[in-house]
Amino acid sequence: MSFHPVVFCRALTRALSCGVLALLPTAVRAVDYEKEIKPLLKERCYACHGALKQKAGLRLDTATAMRKGGDNGDILSGNPGLLLERVTTADKDDRMPPEGEGSMFTAEQVAKLQAWMAGGAAAPAQEKPEDDPRAHWAYQSPKSSGHSMDALLAARLAAKNLKPQPEAAPELWLRRVYLDLIGLPPTPAQIHAFLKDTSAPARLRLVDQLLSTPQYGERWARHFMDIWRYCDWYGLGAQLRHSQKHLWHWRDWIVESLNADKGYDQMIVQMLAADELAPQDRGNLRATGFLARSYYLFNRTTWLDETIEHTCRAFLGLTMQCVKCHDHKYDPIEQTDYYRMRAIFEPLHVRLDPWEGESDLEKNGLPRVYDLHLDQLTYRHVRGDEKNEDKSRPMPPGVPRVLEFASFEPKAVKLPPASSRPVLLPFVLKDHLAAADQQLAQAQKSGDAGAVKLAGLRLAMIQAVYAADLAKGDKAIAQAAALAEARYGEAKAEDDLAKAEAAPKAKDADKKIKTAREALEKARTKMSAPGDAYTSLTASFKAQEGPAENGNAKVQTYPETSTGRRLALARWIADKRNPLTARVLVNHVWARHFGVPLVADVGDFGRRATAPLHQDVLDSLTTGFMENGWSMKWLHRTMVLSELYRRSSSNAGADPRTLAADPDNHFLWRMNPRRMESQLVRDSLLHLSGRLDLTLGGPSLDPAKAETSLRRSLYFIQNADVEHRFLAVFDNSNVLECYRRNESVVPQQALALTNSGLSRDCANVLAASLAKLDAPAFIDQSFLAILGRLPLEVERQASLEGFRALNEDRSLFLQALINHNDFVTLR
Amino acid sequence: MIPRLPPTPFLRRDILGGLGSIAMASMLRAEESWLPPDGLPMIPQRAKRVIWLFMRGGVSHMESFDPKPMLTKYAGKSIGETPYKEVQNPEKLKKVRVVVVNDANGQQRNVIYPLQTGYKRYGQCGVEISDWFPNIGSCADEIAFIRSMWTTDDNHGAQVQFHSGRHMLEPRVPTLGAWVTYGLGSMTDNLPSFINMGPRFFDVRDGHYLGPAYDAVNLKVDPKNPLTYAAPEFQIGRTQQEAQFDLIHRLNGLNAEQYPGDKTLAARMKSYQLAFNMQTAVPETMNLDAESAETKKLYGMDDKVAEPFARQLMVARRLAERGVRFIQLQHGDGAAGAWDSHSGLKKNHSSLAQQVDKPISGLLKDLKQRGMLDDTLVVFATEFGRTPGSQGSDGRDHHPYGFSVWMAGGGIKGGMIHGGTDELGFHPVEHPHYVTDVHATILHLLGLDPHRLEIPGRKRLERDFGKVIPQILA
Repeated sequence: MSFHPVVFCRALTRALSCGVLALLPTAVRAVDYEKEIKPLLKERCYACHGALKQKAGLRLDTATAMRKGGDNGDILSGNPGLLLERVTTADKDDRMPPEGEGSMFTAEQVAKLQAWMAGGAAAPAQEKPEDDPRAHWAYQSPKSSGHSMDALLAARLAAKNLKPQPEAAPELWLRRVYLDLIGLPPTPAQIHAFLKDTSAPARLRLVDQLLSTPQYGERWARHFMDIWRYCDWYGLGAQLRHSQKHLWHWRDWIVESLNADKGYDQMIVQMLAADELAPQDRGNLRATGFLARSYYLFNRTTWLDETIEHTCRAFLGLTMQCVKCHDHKYDPIEQTDYYRMRAIFEPLHVRLDPWEGESDLEKNGLPRVYDLHLDQLTYRHVRGDEKNEDKSRPMPPGVPRVLEFASFEPKAVKLPPASSRPVLLPFVLKDHLAAADQQLAQAQKSGDAGAVKLAGLRLAMIQAVYAADLAKGDKAIAQAAALAEARYGEAKAEDDLAKAEAAPKAKDADKKIKTAREALEKARTKMSAPGDAYTSLTASFKAQEGPAENGNAKVQTYPETSTGRRLALARWIADKRNPLTARVLVNHVWARHFGVPLVADVGDFGRRATAPLHQDVLDSLTTGFMENGWSMKWLHRTMVLSELYRRSSSNAGADPRTLAADPDNHFLWRMNPRRMESQLVRDSLLHLSGRLDLTLGGPSLDPAKAETSLRRSLYFIQNADVEHRFLAVFDNSNVLECYRRNESVVPQQALALTNSGLSRDCANVLAASLAKLDAPAFIDQSFLAILGRLPLEVERQASLEGFRALNEDRSLFLQALINHNDFVTLR
Repeated sequence: MIPRLPPTPFLRRDILGGLGSIAMASMLRAEESWLPPDGLPMIPQRAKRVIWLFMRGGVSHMESFDPKPMLTKYAGKSIGETPYKEVQNPEKLKKVRVVVVNDANGQQRNVIYPLQTGYKRYGQCGVEISDWFPNIGSCADEIAFIRSMWTTDDNHGAQVQFHSGRHMLEPRVPTLGAWVTYGLGSMTDNLPSFINMGPRFFDVRDGHYLGPAYDAVNLKVDPKNPLTYAAPEFQIGRTQQEAQFDLIHRLNGLNAEQYPGDKTLAARMKSYQLAFNMQTAVPETMNLDAESAETKKLYGMDDKVAEPFARQLMVARRLAERGVRFIQLQHGDGAAGAWDSHSGLKKNHSSLAQQVDKPISGLLKDLKQRGMLDDTLVVFATEFGRTPGSQGSDGRDHHPYGFSVWMAGGGIKGGMIHGGTDELGFHPVEHPHYVTDVHATILHLLGLDPHRLEIPGRKRLERDFGKVIPQILA
């Protein structure tokens, strides 16, 4: 909006007559521009009148710029001065910020502004304007200083004259690495073994050993399931509305990829475009569950919005949701960037392909993405309104211009036949025949002649139909298939009728018999002229495009090419030249090892994220990570073997000056304690009582069985409908978005650990194994088993007294220890 | 008289304020200059607590609190044939965002359906209320009726929208109850601050980006099993458990000496005190044995139809007495909500009204006689109204363009009507209010400024804050 002098006078008159200005205090007091005015202008005005944009040719980021003014000249001089007028006028059309772009200045803020302007609008002489948005630190490639993270942190502590805390006891370090790397606490035997040799090489060996167990993949898959929004399908009753069936294949892919230490760059490419990268690699097609997860039955725009938003936030730390409606207020990203990104996903659709070993897609199948609408154009939605498309020009696929280090040129991918026709997958026939064989064997066992005949005809039909599918277009073979189908249909109708007639007293028997007779009639008519139309083997299921679409199971062929847009996007994200991708990942991993991320908002590396205090650490780890093949195991090793990770998390005995100067530990002079995530609490309880079932992978488990199941918690169904009552209490992951877990402290957690059968059972099992020890030995062993350490002498005494007060009930005592703050804490 | 719980051996005042703020602080510990609210009112407080009555499915505004005789006059005519055809001007229908395109719901219903009930004037104020709500009518002088609400979701996701201010297709944000409990400290050491009773479907959470600590705690009106893990799932005597809690407290206290200044540990110790107290306080609150026969009658406990909701409302009053801040009640089973009368509106609404009318009036009267109505806000709401036109032969469809809610109690001017719809009850024509205006009014009366509740990195839109409705303030 520009300043129009005429409008202005009107506005001024109104403002004066409505009394806004009249209310202002007359006494002018000194106002500190840097502290009281600049932050206000920055918050309310800079988005349109700063480095990002200069609407009406005006910038407000320095007093000089304000004096210079825009299209209407100086905004500070005069009485009351243009700036003041525009923020106070009662005319909604003139008032700044405009309606919907921010709230009106409060009377107090106006008073301050007026006082500052009346006092001559003093500002520092060398006031710096806002930096060029493109120069934002996170948009520049990371550069390593060549120093280790510990050296960098130590130098900063020394420069600030802060003193680090000493090392934590080795058993505390041990519990940290066990819980951090495999999500399970060390057993007393493992603690004893480690305490025999706590040297650096022994620690390295231990870390390597933990990283090589399959439990590592499970532990870290859970973190990535948070960030990547893992969500099993849900809807209303049987109607699938969100996500896809059998999405657990994607979860298993994450676990396996992490265990194999697949490069993070490769993982990204596979999740976004495995179908274009290697269409026949079925193992990696599972990765596209990342995109299948955002499927939403009712609204295509919502589906794609979520896809864009979370792809950008998870991998790039870019916030895109606001760009859907208008240009970004903080970052140099425009609304058209959003719709160019949408064009990348515009052809996207979801389907269930068969999974080897099962012919029934309801029982098992591979949820995956593919390009369906190859020619669908993308238009900008005016102000984000899906009903108001700007048809004047279609948006080409592309990435945000500010980060476009190479031109975005997708190349269409020619797909192999089995991609466009899943029936051609080598195992489809085998699995269908196996199902029919099984039916035959059952029929033979039961001695039902009708059923035997039927099963035999089904086998014949499957073979004939498959042959016709292979020889697409051959009329004779198609006729044979149609005949086989008709034969089976007739036999089935005969069998149904015989069954109905055999039960004349059944409910609605007459009706059933009548229906069966009619069906048989029809089948016989078909048999007399089978023609050449037949039903293909069901080898794929296209997800419904909206609630009205039916009959998707009949769709058996898909496009023979894919646009290659997602592959191009994936390669741009996973490119070493992309300044964000690896940094964002390193920050996520850091947050999970050290409790506090280096960049405060793990999902926003835009201009609102000021350069982090430890940017050198972030950049040194980021470059190291990429140089080491984007290896996450390298990253874990580097972090957990660092000096910082070994440090005590306690303030006790800290240098008083350090404690006073940095009580919140911004400079990392001590370790941060963390609370276990919900899954860790449950898994650890089962593990320390020796009952955890370490079976890997497979279909998601019904949470109703969670109370009795001994499997790890990542295997339970997770969606917005189902809640696992124990996990929910400890801040379970929110499936809609969970870039960082909460660490709340609420009384329900205390109730869950004191009153649940789960904690009680664990205490009982453990009590039985410690039944023979005398009281002091029992207490020591209990501490070791539950808290991973021996008690201090005062704790031993308090425990002995408490144990007596509990009438030496071992279960009750162990349960009390489960409620010790150190159990749920990574000390 | 509120029974006092016996002090537990370890119960002592801790150094800490509200538990909520600790959780928040730990979540956002990386933010430097920002501090969470201190739990004290920011502006003068008129009400301390809220009892939120939500009728799920969509109550017909014309047959409850906004009677429209013109519907009877023009019954059977299409809207286009009446003098009010302008209500269907496409420009005026634009603001609704359809969730399911081509859905059976949310179509224009053109043939006017007559009023299915009569109405009378009530109280000194003479407010007209339908014959299905005579008992609420008897409290009319306490109530401010808002007849000019509108929302943008044409389907039952509008339930989420009424609680949070956001359309179903937009990101989920905290609900009003979450903001209230986030902004104000707790008034009790024995019960959670935010409680929900009754079915929810479209969104079972409240805290969202504020965190699960601000989700409502779901209570069932069942003294034996009111809350998950409220009672031990195994045999244990009270003295034994007391000894166990005592030991936990002692060991955590020793731990605090090793980890001085650990706020999470301090918060955990406090949470154990609350947990221990909750085990007694929750079942005790659910138990209505101590309530007099007279009080029970006031709520309609002697009426089989009204009894279930009456019980919930009596529990709500008991929770309010015991210091719970936000008590959220959902009435009406089923995925969409029982009030969703696409057909058989008369039978549906008349029987549902019978379930809630007496209990709600009982609540208002009971609060008043106990002196609690002065600082307790009672809100009656629903996700949208119903169409002036008929659906099928005897139903009404969803109507997001205009509907009614009401408020009573702390800081509310009783006996008044605010706003109004056109002759057909289609659009608000006087003081239209989006749902967040109700939120803004409630927060204002509770002494909170929504702008000062915002947290870093989570920008709220102007519309999210809403505007206070000054006309209904006492």
